[in-house]
Amino acid sequence: MAPPAQSHRSPSPSQPSGKGEVSDLKTQLRQLAGSRAPGTDDTKRDLFKKVISYMTIGIDVSSVFSEMVMCSATSDIVLKKMCYLYVGNYAKHNPDLALLTINFLQRDCKDEDPMIRGLALRSLCSLGVANLVEYLVGPLGNGLKDGNSYVRMVAAVGVLKLYHLSASTCLDADFPPLLKQLMLKDKDAQVVANCLTSLQEIWSLEASTSEEAARERETLLSKPVVYYFLNRMKEFSEWAQCIVLELVSKYVPMDTEEIFDIMNLLEDRLHHANGAVVLATIKVFLHMTLSMTDVHQQVYERIKAPLLTLVSSGSPEQSYAVLSHLHLLVMRAPYIFSSDYKHFYCQYNEPFYVKKLKLEMLTAVANESNTYEIVTELCEYVANVDIPMARESIRAVGKIALQQYDVNAIVDRLLQFLEMEKEHVTAETLVLVKDLLRKYPQWSHDCIAVVGNISSKNVQEPKAKAALIWMLGEYAQDMQDSPYILEGLVENWDEEDSAEVRLHLLTAVVKCFLRRAPETQKALGDALAAGVTDFHQDVHDRAFLYYRLLKYDVSVAERIVNPPKQAVSVFADTQSSEMKDRIFDEFNSLSVVYQKAQFLQPSYMFTDKEHRGPFAFSEELGNLSIGTEPSDAAVAAQRVEANDKDLLLGTSEKEEGHGYGSNGSAYSAPSYNASTTAGASQAHFDLVSIDQPSTVHPPVSFAIDDLLGLGMPSAPSSVPSTLQLNAKASIDANAFQQKWRQQPISLSQETSIDPRGVAGMMNPQALPQHMQGHSINCIASGGQAPKFKFFFFAQKEDGSSAYLVECIINSSSCKVQLKIKADEQATSQAFSELFQSALSKFGSA
Amino acid sequence: MPLAASAIYFLNLRGDVLINRLYRDDVGGNMVDAFRVHIMQTKELGTCPVRQIGGCSFFYMRISNVYIVIVVSSNANVACAFKFVVEAVTLFKSYFGGSFDEDAIRNNFVLIYELLDEIMDFGYPQNLSPEILKLYITQEGVRSPFSSKTADKPVPNATLQVTGAVGWRREGLVYKKNEVFLDIVESVNLLMSSKGSVLRCDVTGKILMKCFLSGMPDLKLGLNDKIGLEKESQLKSRPAKSGKTIELDDVTFHQCVNLTRFNSEKTVSFVPPDGEFELMKYRITEGVNLPFRVLPTIKELGRTRMEVNVKVKSVFGAKMFALGVVIKIPVPKQTAKTSFQVTSGKAKYSPSIDCLVWKIRKFPGQTEPTLSAEVELISTITEKKSWTRPPIQMEFQVPMFTASGLRVRFLKVWEKSGYNTVEWVRYITKAGSYEVRC
Repeated sequence: MAPPAQSHRSPSPSQPSGKGEVSDLKTQLRQLAGSRAPGTDDTKRDLFKKVISYMTIGIDVSSVFSEMVMCSATSDIVLKKMCYLYVGNYAKHNPDLALLTINFLQRDCKDEDPMIRGLALRSLCSLGVANLVEYLVGPLGNGLKDGNSYVRMVAAVGVLKLYHLSASTCLDADFPPLLKQLMLKDKDAQVVANCLTSLQEIWSLEASTSEEAARERETLLSKPVVYYFLNRMKEFSEWAQCIVLELVSKYVPMDTEEIFDIMNLLEDRLHHANGAVVLATIKVFLHMTLSMTDVHQQVYERIKAPLLTLVSSGSPEQSYAVLSHLHLLVMRAPYIFSSDYKHFYCQYNEPFYVKKLKLEMLTAVANESNTYEIVTELCEYVANVDIPMARESIRAVGKIALQQYDVNAIVDRLLQFLEMEKEHVTAETLVLVKDLLRKYPQWSHDCIAVVGNISSKNVQEPKAKAALIWMLGEYAQDMQDSPYILEGLVENWDEEDSAEVRLHLLTAVVKCFLRRAPETQKALGDALAAGVTDFHQDVHDRAFLYYRLLKYDVSVAERIVNPPKQAVSVFADTQSSEMKDRIFDEFNSLSVVYQKAQFLQPSYMFTDKEHRGPFAFSEELGNLSIGTEPSDAAVAAQRVEANDKDLLLGTSEKEEGHGYGSNGSAYSAPSYNASTTAGASQAHFDLVSIDQPSTVHPPVSFAIDDLLGLGMPSAPSSVPSTLQLNAKASIDANAFQQKWRQQPISLSQETSIDPRGVAGMMNPQALPQHMQGHSINCIASGGQAPKFKFFFFAQKEDGSSAYLVECIINSSSCKVQLKIKADEQATSQAFSELFQSALSKFGSA
Repeated sequence: MPLAASAIYFLNLRGDVLINRLYRDDVGGNMVDAFRVHIMQTKELGTCPVRQIGGCSFFYMRISNVYIVIVVSSNANVACAFKFVVEAVTLFKSYFGGSFDEDAIRNNFVLIYELLDEIMDFGYPQNLSPEILKLYITQEGVRSPFSSKTADKPVPNATLQVTGAVGWRREGLVYKKNEVFLDIVESVNLLMSSKGSVLRCDVTGKILMKCFLSGMPDLKLGLNDKIGLEKESQLKSRPAKSGKTIELDDVTFHQCVNLTRFNSEKTVSFVPPDGEFELMKYRITEGVNLPFRVLPTIKELGRTRMEVNVKVKSVFGAKMFALGVVIKIPVPKQTAKTSFQVTSGKAKYSPSIDCLVWKIRKFPGQTEPTLSAEVELISTITEKKSWTRPPIQMEFQVPMFTASGLRVRFLKVWEKSGYNTVEWVRYITKAGSYEVRC
């Protein structure tokens, strides 16, 4: 009997049909309950099916609970299963009624048929009623010792269920040690696998509170246990193999010989039909060889073919999962895949999510030898009917152009896009041409000629319009019509909705004015007039700023608005390499797909049950880079700067910039890479305030280079661009203690440490030695697993300022608490960043 | 990270729940509402198979008219999740006799609940092998081997089979006639530029096997792949026989294949499951024989007229023929009228996909039929630029032809009772994504 076709979204009492039928069912069931007539089972079965089908579509049938239980005395296994299912569904909300079922479930747990014993035990554990846990302990204990592997298999997972219901009951009954015994000796592989999953979950959860559990968790990764699993590998089902391989990937072999042994043993897994097994094996290979550069490269060669197979076989969803991983690998080793670029050509009928990843792959593998072919292929996609696809393709072309030194041909292609006269193509291309000009000013002549021909009426998208206006301002000298086009745009000021565009328009008009004053005077006047009355605060402020500047001294305005600019050498990547490393650590998990490490935001990403949108996450990231303690001066200064930037960024761009994980937006909101421009920035004040020693660079609109210079006199560079530490700093213990007592805490932070680093904690000298390599000296250390405490000392290069750090590392939760005290409070944030980056490298080297 | 699924849902296209199974309590009960509101009822549907809503991640797949959604709250193994869904669907199909859709689910929902109970426990995948599950969960749900206590002995070690080491075959099978069927199915993927140069071309093949063999037979399969042959001649220390060899880029095997032996000896040896299964998959990029060449010329004559000429050349042996050849030639949306001339098969204009569809039921080798068509367009003002041409797509099946050149050299069967077996081998090449830009 099929469930009725109509949909019932929620159990609503106002549905007369449902309710009437339920009470019908109730009477019918009651009649059958006592009956022993032949054929009863078949009638029961129909009724049960009806009940289950109502349950599925959301009608509340909990009212027949007692009747169902009464009818459950049967030998028909299908009836039993349906009854178990029903009970499992409603027990949680009717704990009193659930008590009724305990009896018959317990009886079934002793049935002579192992199947029924197993099923009953599974249902018993799945009831999910906390105050019935006492009834679980007995049957579970028997289950673990059952002669039949099916029952043991169910019991092994049952222990985990019990743990989630009531951890104390589970631990008091000593189930984990029992599981461990079973895991190490059971003949049946599935039982062993289930024991392993249960134990992993239980001990990981326990580890934060119990040292013993933390130790037990470590023993799972010990040599004998890992070898035991490796030797039984072939007995496991494909799913269990995934779990075992995941375990192995966390194992730290003693020497290279061991590594090779393990890899030889596992190599055949790369031919497994199950993609998840292959990926898990790849993870083992990659993680084990991290420290062996040559072998690591060979591993890439070895895994190439299996990965490409996985991409091309299976459903698009599976391809997507594999491609995400491939993408991560390609970012790490682009040259390895550069000859296989044809695999990443898009097929016409593929879903967009697959195509998009393929495009990213193509941009990543592009190098001197294959750029021509790749760009030719990408140009085909630009003509695609599918607009998002066309946009992505243009971005990809632009990205390649920004990577390559020989951009001649690519620029031509980009300019051809502009001639296609499709609005979305033009818009996307303009943004790219703008970025390209910032990097290769030498192309301005060719670009300007084409850009000049574009009618601003055909450009509607704010981002594109802003790009066009920027070029009009920046190259006012070379573009004949520039002042007049700007004038036309200023006239339509009121029709322009986007604050971003209005901001750019203001700047462009001023720039144009500084070069071609007579022609632009009118436009400038109009723009400033419109600007100061603008309802948007930023636009308003900027208009006033220009107005006053120009009034004060035109040459100063020139210096500020239109300083000589240096070509951008490197656009900052969306993701720091540190982030990528963390994601790499979590290979074969969701982190790779989301391109966010779980690790960075454990509180949100997966454990937090609160309903928050994905943006909440990215905002948190933003805060993270700014600093959590706004109390001290340095941070306050940064805050000001951050606000400054906000001021200058168009609202839309700001939002985009925070969309940190999405690669697409990275492009439209380029930011300067602090590390590469650091040297030059001192001279060019247009870049100074962007130099935050943080790992997450807030994106900066290109307009900033004109304007941030203003911040220069008011915001002294209290944050040095790169904090250099004195490698030979020294202090004696007494002086340290004294200092520690005297100074207030200037910064306290929580961060996390690489789990592999934690493994290295076994040697108490490892961390101090590692930190010394970063010019941070250990004064004192102590503590026991899982809690270690270190005191560090460091000094600024010129010896002017000292930093004292108290660092508490919890090796089981991988959490680190930092307390930093500094002579110069202003630099403590920078030091903290430095310290954390040094710490994060611990264990990954 | 292991896959710990919190719940699995089966929804129809309207978003009604067909089946749901909660495995863990760590997600709320309203997960399906979240999926409906944030994914199904938005444009997001189909844009990405993995989505995060709140603290939960949703993996979803559409299979015919059903959405299968897995909800997890941990940093789960994505590849594992999708593979699980695919395998589960294969399992259901083997129970329902081939089809998996809304009706099949409605008609078998009790069975699906039973299966969902077995294939996953507390969110961890368990045994998904149809061979074993069919031992104790039966299609009709009638009398499982254990249910009726009156029946004499139930299958003695069924539960051992559920968990046991040789999870894919049960003992004591007897067939009157011992037969093995091998199907080599290849799909050719091609992307050709408008100038006729091959941009990308590969073959993904699979070997499907149907076994009706008694006892516990040991099988060994020999192919004409280069590495295998070299290894063989090395082992037997005699030069390899000349003849065409092919280079497999990569292979994956069914879990029954002894991978250790494959790695050391390069032979495919295995104890097969009973019935039908996919023995191996392979991929080839070098030396692919394309069965068809497509030579299009499309001319746009002014704004309202187009001339389409397509010549399709079959380049396989003259004695062979292709079946079910369909060539889809895209035309602009504003097509008004078409007229055709074809030298073989039938052609028509299909407005729903904006294509000229040319069908040739039987297409002999070494021939080159042509289609010439005139297309009249409604003149429009809005379309400023010329129409961007999607690629020509082709479907076909060529029996007894392998684009890779793969051949089965031998299939040996050993069984201790020493019976004779009959082996049947078939080859077929299909079009995967066969695209020619024009």
